Amino acid sequence: MAKRKSLIKIKPKKYKDGDIVKVSFMVMHPMETGTRKDKKTKQVLPAKYINNVKFAYNGKVITTLNVWETLSTNPVFTTYMKINGKGNLTVNYTDNTGEANEKSKKIKPKG
Amino acid sequence: MKRRDFFKHLGSAAVVAATVTPTMSFAAAKQANTISYKNALDAITGGKSAKTSKSVHLKVPEIAENGAVVPVTITVDSPMTDADYVKAIHILVSKNGNARCLDAHLTPANGKAMLATRVKLNGTQDVSAVIALSNGEFLIATQGVKVTIGGCG
Repeated sequence: MAKRKSLIKIKPKKYKDGDIVKVSFMVMHPMETGTRKDKKTKQVLPAKYINNVKFAYNGKVITTLNVWETLSTNPVFTTYMKINGKGNLTVNYTDNTGEANEKSKKIKPKG
Repeated sequence: MKRRDFFKHLGSAAVVAATVTPTMSFAAAKQANTISYKNALDAITGGKSAKTSKSVHLKVPEIAENGAVVPVTITVDSPMTDADYVKAIHILVSKNGNARCLDAHLTPANGKAMLATRVKLNGTQDVSAVIALSNGEFLIATQGVKVTIGGCG
């Protein structure tokens, strides 16, 4: 299983309990549509795209995304989230070939 | 069987073979989903009509130079409480082979109904945001995008 580069960004960086913050999740993924042809071999490249992304905060699922191949290469998903105590934000994502990965970030509210 | 009949049969068999094989090979080569805009909209709303509303803010560039990366931002004015919140945000495009881009299922824990991502557009077409509210209503917002270079080649 290939390891993918991914990143979770929270804006603003400093936040308090009860704040609503912007959460961006970026992942390096080809998002192949299955209709594109290889220029050299003239063969259709098989489809490979992320089809499910789950944001979970302390084990509770906040947002579920169903994704199709029409998103750009290296997709970015941005939503908002309410800070509710210390914990972990975990993002699980799977693609249509069955590849599953996860990325997590610690949530530390100050003040 | 007479010689004339034999050729007749041969001809009809050839026609059948010719019609069947190309479609089959075409389907096998094209593994990607093909969902039309109308079917996608019906699948989301279940036949209900979606209203246009001022509370849905769809932000898409009017002219996109590169169709491979088109930023889309959707914000909905909603209190996001347990009683009244945005259930789902769907992004649809009108002319791509697959009209559906993304379904986001939100919960009140989000605090704010907003979704941003980047989509591929095959050519000049419309981008729609279909919003499902917790009371069962559907809202829609549509905007056209001019694409200079398509992004699905």
